[in-house]
Amino acid sequence: MVARGRIVWISGPAVKADGMSEAKMYETVYVGESRLIGEVIRLTGDTAFIQVYESTSGLKPGEPVMGTGNPLSVLLGPGMIGRIYDGIQRPLDDIAKQSGAFISRGIAVDPVDKRRRYRFVPTVKVGDDIEPGSKLGEVNETQLIKHHIMLPPDSPGGRVIAVEKEGEYDLEHPIATLEKNGKRYEAKMYHYWPVRRPRPLKEKLDPEIPLITGQRVIDTLFPVAKGGTAAIPGGFGTGKTVTMHQIAKWADAQVVIYIGCGERGNEMTEVLVEFPHLTDPRSGRPLMERTVLVANTSNMPVAAREASIYTGVTMGEYYRDMGYDVVLVADSTSRWAEALREMSGRLEEMPAEEGYPSYLASRLAEFYERAGRGIALGTPERIGSVTLIGAVSPSGADFTEPVTTHTIRFIKTFWGLDTRLAYSRHYPAINWMISYSGYVNSIAKWWMKNVSEEWFRLREEGYYILQREDTLKEIVRLLGPEALPDEEKLVLEVARMIKIGILQQAAFDKIDTYCSPMKQLKLLRLMVGFYREAQKALKAGISLADIRSMQIITRMLKAKFEISEEEISRIDALYNEMVEEFKALTAKEVKQVVG
Amino acid sequence: MVEVGVEYTRVSEIRGPLLIVEGVSRASFDELVEVETTDGIKRLGKVLEVGQGKAVIQVFEGTTGLSVKGTRARFLGKTMEVPVSQELLGRVFDGLGRPIDGLPEPIAEEFRDVNGAPINPERREYPRDFIQTGVSVIDGMLTLVRGQKLPIFSGSGMPHNVLAAQIARQATVVGSGEEFAVVFAAIGVQYSEAQYFKRSLEESGALRRSTLFLNLADDPAIERIITPRVALTVAEYLAFDLNMHVLVILTDMTNYAEALREISAAREEVPGRKGYPGYLYTDLATIYERAGRIKSVKGSITQMPILSMPADDITHPIPDLTGYITEGQIVLSRDLFRRDIYPPVGVLMSLSRLMKDGVGEGKTRADHMEVSNQLYDAYARAQEVRALSEIVGKAGLTGVDLKYLDFGDAFEQQFLKQAVDENRTLEETLRRAWDVLSTLPEGELTKIKEVHIKKHYRAKAG
Amino acid sequence: MAHSHAHDHDKVLESIVGKVVSQVESDLIAQIESSYIQSLERLRASKAGLVAEYNKIVENASKQAENLKRQMVESSRLAVRNRQLLLIEDAVSSAFSNAIAMLDSIRSDERYEAMMRRLIESTLDAIGMDAVLECSEKDRDMVDRIVLELQHKYNFSVEVGDSIPCLGGIKARSRDGSIILDNTLDSRIERLRPILKKDIARLLMVEVGR
Repeated sequence: MVARGRIVWISGPAVKADGMSEAKMYETVYVGESRLIGEVIRLTGDTAFIQVYESTSGLKPGEPVMGTGNPLSVLLGPGMIGRIYDGIQRPLDDIAKQSGAFISRGIAVDPVDKRRRYRFVPTVKVGDDIEPGSKLGEVNETQLIKHHIMLPPDSPGGRVIAVEKEGEYDLEHPIATLEKNGKRYEAKMYHYWPVRRPRPLKEKLDPEIPLITGQRVIDTLFPVAKGGTAAIPGGFGTGKTVTMHQIAKWADAQVVIYIGCGERGNEMTEVLVEFPHLTDPRSGRPLMERTVLVANTSNMPVAAREASIYTGVTMGEYYRDMGYDVVLVADSTSRWAEALREMSGRLEEMPAEEGYPSYLASRLAEFYERAGRGIALGTPERIGSVTLIGAVSPSGADFTEPVTTHTIRFIKTFWGLDTRLAYSRHYPAINWMISYSGYVNSIAKWWMKNVSEEWFRLREEGYYILQREDTLKEIVRLLGPEALPDEEKLVLEVARMIKIGILQQAAFDKIDTYCSPMKQLKLLRLMVGFYREAQKALKAGISLADIRSMQIITRMLKAKFEISEEEISRIDALYNEMVEEFKALTAKEVKQVVG
Repeated sequence: MVEVGVEYTRVSEIRGPLLIVEGVSRASFDELVEVETTDGIKRLGKVLEVGQGKAVIQVFEGTTGLSVKGTRARFLGKTMEVPVSQELLGRVFDGLGRPIDGLPEPIAEEFRDVNGAPINPERREYPRDFIQTGVSVIDGMLTLVRGQKLPIFSGSGMPHNVLAAQIARQATVVGSGEEFAVVFAAIGVQYSEAQYFKRSLEESGALRRSTLFLNLADDPAIERIITPRVALTVAEYLAFDLNMHVLVILTDMTNYAEALREISAAREEVPGRKGYPGYLYTDLATIYERAGRIKSVKGSITQMPILSMPADDITHPIPDLTGYITEGQIVLSRDLFRRDIYPPVGVLMSLSRLMKDGVGEGKTRADHMEVSNQLYDAYARAQEVRALSEIVGKAGLTGVDLKYLDFGDAFEQQFLKQAVDENRTLEETLRRAWDVLSTLPEGELTKIKEVHIKKHYRAKAG
Repeated sequence: MAHSHAHDHDKVLESIVGKVVSQVESDLIAQIESSYIQSLERLRASKAGLVAEYNKIVENASKQAENLKRQMVESSRLAVRNRQLLLIEDAVSSAFSNAIAMLDSIRSDERYEAMMRRLIESTLDAIGMDAVLECSEKDRDMVDRIVLELQHKYNFSVEVGDSIPCLGGIKARSRDGSIILDNTLDSRIERLRPILKKDIARLLMVEVGR
């Protein structure tokens, strides 16, 4: 029995309906004659509060409300990669086919084409006794993604009674029959999963592998681990979205879920236009073949913005369960929080700070808790991860506002964007004095094993120079740079070199946009090496002016974009040249002293 | 059959701009309402909330003079619409779209809902056509592209309208020869400001391809909620139905936000920052996002909203939330304005997010982006050195620092500053850029590739 | 000897003086020449400058002229268009009033009563409580009759009030005055006006085109 009620009150996306005693919390309902999609968010007696995912303009009291009996769910199956969805998993291209360039309401479309046929290769055989969540077979979703067909985690599992042989089947075709406790059921290539319920793992593992993003300030200074969490707060114009795009482009994950939550339409278009033409540096295939977009732009209905985060993370967990490393970027969690605030306000709930509901913190915690690396349910063993990266848009670039302060409690890597750095076009404008990563120690082993033993020490040294510069800058601000002794002026000089030559990275430069771990290390060694040599030279009596006017410095600073990944050994040559130039300087100095 | 609309007369409360009517059985959310006073004067409004026999109506033209007794509300069975047609060009309307130029009501090709509908992101065309504005600082460092929304953040008394009018007069897409249609919406501005704009369009012969919507300072405040929407509905028709390239100027969005705050306060909603409603971001987005391009449609909407920052504070909610939605911002600087530099664009706080896609080889010039980055970097350094030299004096500066001081002056005087009627080509803008960059030693140009430096850098003697 | 010596001396002096003089002379000439060349160059340069200046003035003037021309052409085009708009409006208005005048004959149409019946029904549905109907004197008998026929369908009273001046149709209100519904032909036509205008204008333009 599903609920059938009537609308009694409407205010924007919030609707009240009577006669809803059959309705369940978070049930999906159809609202009004035009069957707008909504979700029950509060029940009082037989009155249901519903948040409607489409514009309620023109809706009248007295129109019907129909329950569906199901919670808000997403379809999980082959065909999702490469698509762009709205906040409730409706493909935007299919919506466009029905309503043209502008989005209209009440459109019902399937998340994937269920009639499309895929070549199914079974990996179980009749008689196997398998657990819930186990893999039944696989299909090629894209050139990059082998899509595992799995039993839903909430299925009973059981003995395989029948399984289709290798062949082309569409999504509605039952590919296996199972039996558990005498009950038989069929499995298809897709299933539904409620978005607000995390998909279970068999076991969570420690995050000890870094997510390589190709962004130097991130990978070298403030890394995030696969299965980890990171937040990137920043005022407007500080480059949140560019950084998010960079991560979505270059992160060494197999699947990327990009959620545009209450942001600009053109930014989603940019991804759609750009990603098919960009190739994954590891596989050489177009990036779109590993990407799913969820777009609920700022001018689309606000309630669907709230749902979009859950829609995205549920799809991410599904690919994780196949054994993939998934990166989910959510831009921006602040707009999601604002959607919560708006609905809460319409329901006249008691507000906490700045009008946000008191459950803001717990909702954020629940979201970030869905990150992780672990072993999937069932057989065979699959280890996958979901890394969650959330942009935060603090009003007035004020990091003490509620969304930022609560987010910080639940994440381990913090990339604080700085308006002042952005003003001077230091991009990415990640402030190295306020940012941090809780993963440095756990991933150091990976770097030392796969890149270089020197990594940890070089990073420490480089970071130390930046920290010292920060304290020295205070003195400079009061007394001018000439007040410092040469040794300290050198710190300023090298810090400048690290900032320009390493931390600043041009997202839109062909070469600089991605920097491999090895190149990152070599650049770091170049700058730190310079510091060591320069210190020696100062001790040997060489003037700072002579060091500053060394020809090689400009070339060192431009190495990041003048030297491509293919000719990476030129950085070593540059290093040697640098050492030679110091030797020559010292020799000249000795000659003068002796002469 | 046309809906005639039921009239209800049981007004229970009038609160600020809101009218609350009881005994309403046939009304829908967002419906257009005609409110009639006892003396037969008609005003428009819309339904903000409806249910349980009660409708909350926001009256656009204000509730002044309305009484609980004798006021009638007629529900018109549709949302607010405006007539659209090509003949709207060359016309002047009030803030609700009614003619004030002595000419008749326009003959509508169609009636369109002023709220529009969101453009499907999948159907958007990514904006990348360079618009030459003839203003060096914009073309060189804050490039505007067709379909972009780029606001001007200003302060009281600063020449934002002069700059916007200069852009409206001079903007062209080089090589295409196509001219922009201009849709201008005055939102609570002084008569003289609107008049300046109109005259400027007239003098350049552009009035024939412009539509003006004027809600002036002494017009009803709540009407301001509708003015930008009416203007954008017309712009959408011109752009996406008639394939025109439309430049929309909305001034001043601060007045818009204040009207929104007034309604929110009257509804006793929980306020967000500075008393503005929590949904200010979403609401502004429904305006600003009505810019862009659509696949396989030739026309475009380029938006240039103007807003005055209260107390020149860029962290105030209005500029702050605007900056999060728009594709960059042009910030006017009080300091430059005082020093008589026009246009007083504070470049460091300004940004054009779409510039990267509109410039470079094949679009403008291969060195354009790097030159721009270097100008920003060098000017930022120059500002730092200026501040430092005020404390420690020039004696405390290094030789390189002194070069940066020179650069700062050259940048402001030779690159930034230009005349109100000066229309510079891109070549000239870039030539001036290299000229001022050449005041710096070559080694300082760390953002530019060697090949461009070899081609364009000319060291200054000494 | 002394003399000759002195003479020699004079000669030397003379030659020195001569040398100096010729030196000075040649210097002077050189100076004059160079300044002549310089001034020539200056002249040439200033001529070039003058030409440039002149060109600039001409260019500015022609630019201004171009602007003025453009301004005049555009504004006269606009003026013509606006005249056209006014003419169309006049034509539409007169077409409209003609049409309305002709509406008086609507009562002879057999469909009129059916329309009135539908109108009264939907009006009473909307009001849903004790109601008062008003109509044109000419329709009064018909309305009385329809109300009588329909009364049994409603559990509230329906009364036909005073006659009002209108082309046709009815105006209704709830007895307590809280709900009003103006379904007269006059008000319907007024609401249709902007929509009809386009069709009338198009028809007129076709007429003009002929």
